[in-house]
Amino acid sequence: MLQDGLRGALNQSALEPAGPQAAKVTHLWWFALAIATTVYLLTMGALWWAAHRARQRELRGEAAVGPEAEQGMTRGVTYSIAATIVILLIFLVTDLSVGRTLSPVPSKHPLTIELTGHQWWWEVTYADTSPHGRFTTANEIHVPVGEPVLFVLQAQDVIHSFWVPNLAGKKDLIPGYTQSMWFQADTAGLYRGQCAEFCGLQHAKMALHVVAESKADYQRWVDQQRGTAAIPTDSAARRGREIFLTGTCAMCHSIEGTSAGSHAGPDLTHLASRRTIAAGTLPNTRGALGGWVVDPQRIKPGVRMPPNMLKPQDLDALLTYLQSLK
Amino acid sequence: MRRLSTVRAVSFAVASFLFATSVAGCRREERRFRESPPSATPTTVRVSALQPGTMQDTTHARNPYENNAYAQSEGQRLFGWYNCAGCHANGGGGMGPPLMDDQWIYGSSPENIYTTIIQGRPNGMPSFAGKIPTTQVWQLVTYVRSLSAQNSTGARSSRTDHMMMYPGSSSLQDPEKPKNSFRPPASEMP
Amino acid sequence: MACAGPPNGRRPASGVDAAISLKGRVWLAAALLCAAGACTREQKAEPARVPASPALPAAAGPRASVALDAEDGQWTMPAKSYSAARYSQLGEITADNVKNLRPAWTFSTSVLRGHEEPPIIVNNTMYILTPFPNILYALDLTKQGAPKKWQYEPKPQSEAQGVACCDVVNRGPSYADGKIVFNTLDNNVVAVDAATGKELWKTRVGDINTGETMTMAPLVVKNKVLVGNSGGEMGVRGWLKALDLASGKVLWTAYSTGPDDEMLIGSRFKPFYPKDQGKNLGVTTWQGEQWKIGGGTVWGWLSYDPQSNLVFYGTANPGPWNPDQRPGDNKFTSSLVARDADNGEAVWAFQMSPHDMHDYDGVNESILLDVPWKGQTRHALIHPDRNGYVYLMDRTNGEVLYAEPFVHITTSRRVNVSNGSLEYVPEKKPRVGEVVRDICPASPGGKDWQPSSFSPRTGLVYIPHQNLCEDEEGLEANYISGTPYVGMNVRMYAGPGGMRGRLTAWDPIAGRAAWAIEESFPVWSGTVVTAGDVVFYGTMDGWFKAVDARNGHPLWQYKTGSGIIGQPVTYRGPDGKQYVAVMSGVGGWAGAIVAGNLDPRDSTAALGFAAAMKDLPDATQKGGTLYVFSLP
Repeated sequence: MLQDGLRGALNQSALEPAGPQAAKVTHLWWFALAIATTVYLLTMGALWWAAHRARQRELRGEAAVGPEAEQGMTRGVTYSIAATIVILLIFLVTDLSVGRTLSPVPSKHPLTIELTGHQWWWEVTYADTSPHGRFTTANEIHVPVGEPVLFVLQAQDVIHSFWVPNLAGKKDLIPGYTQSMWFQADTAGLYRGQCAEFCGLQHAKMALHVVAESKADYQRWVDQQRGTAAIPTDSAARRGREIFLTGTCAMCHSIEGTSAGSHAGPDLTHLASRRTIAAGTLPNTRGALGGWVVDPQRIKPGVRMPPNMLKPQDLDALLTYLQSLK
Repeated sequence: MRRLSTVRAVSFAVASFLFATSVAGCRREERRFRESPPSATPTTVRVSALQPGTMQDTTHARNPYENNAYAQSEGQRLFGWYNCAGCHANGGGGMGPPLMDDQWIYGSSPENIYTTIIQGRPNGMPSFAGKIPTTQVWQLVTYVRSLSAQNSTGARSSRTDHMMMYPGSSSLQDPEKPKNSFRPPASEMP
Repeated sequence: MACAGPPNGRRPASGVDAAISLKGRVWLAAALLCAAGACTREQKAEPARVPASPALPAAAGPRASVALDAEDGQWTMPAKSYSAARYSQLGEITADNVKNLRPAWTFSTSVLRGHEEPPIIVNNTMYILTPFPNILYALDLTKQGAPKKWQYEPKPQSEAQGVACCDVVNRGPSYADGKIVFNTLDNNVVAVDAATGKELWKTRVGDINTGETMTMAPLVVKNKVLVGNSGGEMGVRGWLKALDLASGKVLWTAYSTGPDDEMLIGSRFKPFYPKDQGKNLGVTTWQGEQWKIGGGTVWGWLSYDPQSNLVFYGTANPGPWNPDQRPGDNKFTSSLVARDADNGEAVWAFQMSPHDMHDYDGVNESILLDVPWKGQTRHALIHPDRNGYVYLMDRTNGEVLYAEPFVHITTSRRVNVSNGSLEYVPEKKPRVGEVVRDICPASPGGKDWQPSSFSPRTGLVYIPHQNLCEDEEGLEANYISGTPYVGMNVRMYAGPGGMRGRLTAWDPIAGRAAWAIEESFPVWSGTVVTAGDVVFYGTMDGWFKAVDARNGHPLWQYKTGSGIIGQPVTYRGPDGKQYVAVMSGVGGWAGAIVAGNLDPRDSTAALGFAAAMKDLPDATQKGGTLYVFSLP
């Protein structure tokens, strides 16, 4: 699915911005680094010089600290405080200006995505002017390149934090409280993000992916996601669907177009269209999916999904069905 | 010298006490994510106290999670997820009978509750066999028993953030208070 | 509403302390502000307690009229007539002599759940349909003591009890063409020979594994039996079906949600208001496929107008209760629908509570009245809704003539009659993870299923209802077929004034209450009004009461063995005397705390109702007895 012109799963780094928010944050970071380095060098330089001069004096047989030291002390403290205040003011101004750039969404009707944090996965619902245009997916977000995207952030259980370093800074998802933020992806590519607020046993394995693609590709993806689940054509997939609906799977997962409608776990309607499973922990391959379905506790101990002891042929059929859910 | 040895003795005693209490909590806070093999399913479960002839001992299957705090809190989560709360509310009942009182139609021992969940019951309790894995059923059993204070209060969560008459749904029951065999007049109801 | 004082009835500190403490001063200021007239809304909603003097006519001005059948002393369907007036032209029992009423005989049904049904009286036989297990008794009224002629047991599946939200009630059978037709809890429609009790046909129309049950009373129109399902709390998709009276075959199904062809919406469908107009609104006002589990069940009352050949009914709440899980208007739940009685085609629909947030079903009865309105006579219907408003509507096209509150309302400001919209108060929207308090009316509404009656003599509509408010906490609901799909913790309590029940006499033309009687418990029984100007109703602690239809003066009461939630009827016995009959047996949603032995320490039990009825177990016990009264 990666074409030329897309950068690969590049470095998940706040220093490789792909959008204006991340760019502002990066600039702030470099600015802070520059100031800090300068101050550090100056301070260390002054410290070295003071130590060196004291040593020289000692070698000459004088007192290490001269008689003008008293005034020098006052002068030194005054200069330090003044410099600190100046630097703080510079930071304040920079911070406010960056903040002003980051807050308002530069669009009247931006694409809105409702992101709900769960332990330990991301529920992604694309809003629409008509309720019928809405759809839900999990752990993978697609956005069109060059357009601002507004995120409405909520949490289901504990505090999580939405962080895609290449695209924006962190914003917390707080239960009982709705927040919003926006970003814009200027370069097409696959960006990895992760939860940035400790949220329990598997906080470390709660990643998500943002795919920034051309408007046409994005629209194609949206149309595909809006549809109901693929109807199985071969007998193995049909058997797999039967296992899904009559067994434990349908108690927690939903597949649009079937009787499975539980929101305890991620929506699986278009599972096969995602790059990863288990919130970015595993690649979406048959083997990984099989291992996950049978024993998720080995991969993410403490996760909400229980092990499923399936007979080998049943597991095979189930995987065939799940992989058909494009 | 004597003072120093007294101090030492006292600090040793305090340290041992703290160690003992912290260790005592270990079993209660233990989290077992993978039961291998899955916990035992009970074989002979009696729903009636009558036995023809001379009474045999009833084998009580062990609830592997009795008094385990993590299991109880998982049970509380699953109680909502699987819509148990839709029929039993938060223990008070509705479509289904209350679970927080002392009236048990089909038995209150862990294996009775286990089989009730797995088998279903004729007057409307659905059968969850094949729908919920065994470990989760035992977690639910632990939680259901906690609603009527049949297991340790130490394993109870101190609060939930839900709208309840009392804070913490599983702390609705105070073991010292009578369990509903006598219903006080409404004017004395909390 | 600060006017009600501190929430949940907690009183501020004592007088002396209040004068001293800051908190006390704040409450004092609030009380003064309220007294200064900030609460006009409440004054409009609260009916006067003082009845008018007996000499004056009860409803001033021109009266509404209602279509009635010729009085034959029988009671062949729960609503008595297609116009649903529940008015009897028998006049032997009057306001003057009702004080002499005494029990003539009784009958035990051997069932101890909520008895919402009325007895049906046809050809000197009385038919009683019990709650689950839905036994149909036929009693011979010609013999002394009304001995049982036969009984028919449909033997419904016992598992059906596990998917019935609000006690295992049944709202009654209907008689037509020598047959008694009724619904069983496990989704069978049954027709039994009225003379012999032999089963003529039994058709299964639903599946308990999807959470469906049936509790409503069928309406027989010409040769069709019209029935609807229950299960809005179980993620069931609602429908109205017509079965052939002779064979039991399903003739057509009209769904409450979904595409136009499944809703039987075609070219004849002309809703009055633009908000209800459009193609496939039963799909486009829902996210994805949620309309398939969206509710809109048809468990309430049907009325029929033979002149226009239209059936009028309401659809229930959308599912789940948590509104954030089903964005959109959710059509056509919580709506009034008019359909052609022959082929089920929709003629108009009006959604009373779009995107309902508090379980305001639309299933309450619509009494078909002809009203003088602004110089014309309009063919209207009057419908007291769960959302707290009495709607007077033109039944030919669905236009709202007025929508006036009959209880204290905090969830909406008003109904905008020009566009039909309900103007919600945004602060009262339930949210996940938060508790929203002081939601009035509570989920059982200003009035629930309990049916009103209308007297053409007094011109008043006698509305039995409740006065309840609640706190709500949203939860995420998971749809698992056959299990509850609700997503809300609820706790109810008495509304302003502290009296949980009311019988309101409503002037349908003036659009306000003429008088009202307050009761401690919700008035969960139906009402019947007679030509003798007597209104009969029952209370949940077991009193069967008669009041003067003109002014509400209490005339007579009798303490029965259990709370009364049934529909009283009156008939002429074979001896020519007038009898009044009612079922005594508490239960239903309001009485679930007794019928289900619930534990009130959990304030969310019975979907929140147990918290408001903690004292009911002290006041009454379970029961199941028919009481028949007459004059000596």
